Amino acid sequence: MSFLHDYVYYIGAFGLVAIGLLIILVKRNLIKLIIGLSILDTGVNMFLISVGYIRRGTAPIFSRPGLEPDGMVDPVPQALVLTAIVIGVAILALALALAVRFYKTYGTLDLRKAKELRW
Amino acid sequence: MVSPVLLLAVPLGLALCVPLVGRVSRRAAGFVPVIASLFNLVVSIRLLPTVLEEPIVANLGGFPPPFGITLFAGPVGMLLSALIALAGLVVSLYALSYIKTGPTVRYHTLYMLLLVGATGVVLTGDVFNLFVFFEILCISSYALVAYVGDRAGIEASVKYLIQGALGSALLLIGIGLLYGLFGTLNMADIAARIDSVDSVPVFVAMALIVVGLGVEAAIFPLNAWLPDAHSSAPSSISAILSGIAIQVGLYAVVRMVFTVFGASSVLLFFVFLGLLTLLIGELCAFAQNNIKRMLAYSSIGQMGLIMFALAIATTGSVTGGLFQMVSHTLSKALLFLAVGYMVYRSGSLEISSLEGMGRRMPLTSFAFTIGVFSLVGLPPFIGFPSKLLIVRSALAEQGVLLQVLIGLVLLATVIEGAYFFRVIQTVYFKKEEGQEARQDAPPMALLSMFVFVAFIVVIGVYPNLITDVLESGASELLERANYIGSVLG
Repeated sequence: MSFLHDYVYYIGAFGLVAIGLLIILVKRNLIKLIIGLSILDTGVNMFLISVGYIRRGTAPIFSRPGLEPDGMVDPVPQALVLTAIVIGVAILALALALAVRFYKTYGTLDLRKAKELRW
Repeated sequence: MVSPVLLLAVPLGLALCVPLVGRVSRRAAGFVPVIASLFNLVVSIRLLPTVLEEPIVANLGGFPPPFGITLFAGPVGMLLSALIALAGLVVSLYALSYIKTGPTVRYHTLYMLLLVGATGVVLTGDVFNLFVFFEILCISSYALVAYVGDRAGIEASVKYLIQGALGSALLLIGIGLLYGLFGTLNMADIAARIDSVDSVPVFVAMALIVVGLGVEAAIFPLNAWLPDAHSSAPSSISAILSGIAIQVGLYAVVRMVFTVFGASSVLLFFVFLGLLTLLIGELCAFAQNNIKRMLAYSSIGQMGLIMFALAIATTGSVTGGLFQMVSHTLSKALLFLAVGYMVYRSGSLEISSLEGMGRRMPLTSFAFTIGVFSLVGLPPFIGFPSKLLIVRSALAEQGVLLQVLIGLVLLATVIEGAYFFRVIQTVYFKKEEGQEARQDAPPMALLSMFVFVAFIVVIGVYPNLITDVLESGASELLERANYIGSVLG
């Protein structure tokens, strides 16, 4: 059980990534694809957080007495995730705006119906 | 001395001012990108001589590397930043007359953000910062592809967005792995310690990063979005996407593989991948009837050629690859700009509709012809010395394998010549019944095309003007130790 105990966050993160990838590869409805992208993003963010996470760790505030550096959570991945979340939201917003335009133009959200462009 | 930080800060600040200027006057908003690109061009060219002697390392926020974000302005970064500023300047002049309908103020804002993203990618020395600038570049190009808002544009933009977002997710996983392995995000710091850990996770991280960046760089299996996006975007945006965006993606791949990972063992794989991309791009271009799709496939082919040259990794071939990057930016941007107005006048994207354009739009057709000659590699245009350098340096290498591969590259050039000369023949020598009135592109658009023509001819006749920069760029890419040393001191 110790393997699960140590790696549960990684397993969860890559589980989400796999679910997101599967949705993107299988689904052809634009809204579902965007949901897939969102799940994928969440998985990636969770992976980044778990890289620096320590169980029962504290915030890295050195002015408080009695706290050791090895008990502190790495703050860099959290800063990265903050940025990554903002970027993810921007992509999501743009994707949803495009989905609205797509629906207005084609009258459907099914990507297979859009056949203007071919090889 | 001017700091390279200004190359990012000034255009970014001006980009956010565009909506304010647009409130006062919609027409004035179009001049903001012109000013910003002109500023970047002047600063980049002023910094070039300094950078040739010693690269400039700027620490953002005053934190010394490896803690803060560093900007690394070496010869390659400055060359590409000058190239981005030049193409950005010329295309924004073109857009003054070309982009008239639609939400023009937003167009100019997004256009400037795209240029900022591209400049940021070529200057940054931090892996996560690379991701951020890369996303700025990508998100603005997703939006710009759909600018016209027609059926094709929206479909292309949706496809591009989904594939691009998938690529960025993979890139971010790769960066997370790197951080987990090394505890740092500074490229030089990672490069210095790359041998200190187990090679399997490093390889996984490299694969994820190369695939993630490769979507934007249009490397062969990952480029399904490109012909749609580049052919459906407004022509000024196609010029920037083909001339700048994909090359910046390729630069990022090269920087990661050469400098950060120092992975000389996988380079042969990239040689084959580049050749495959080249052949597939040119063969698909040959089959097209749509002129903008043909140019888009030709861009895929050119990316393959550049990757092929860079992956051979001798000083000569990397110089040739960088030269080909410059040559491709100038020629392909010129072609898209010329085709923009030809298509606008004829009202159709079919190659057959360009019949008689040689009489109807003589100056535009002339600029188009120069672009084609340069791209195919005829002297005295810039495409000739760049292709010659690639072929010569590849032939200088020992080994039958490379000689066979270079034969295939030349075959691809022949295919390229065949489909391009077919277009030239249509433009000039297929006579239409009933002469139409002469109706050339507007003066501003012609001016921007002829700036590119001037650069193509001048550098084609005097390649020595830029070979110094290219050679020191090649040694910057090939010698990791110098890069690490100049950042970490």
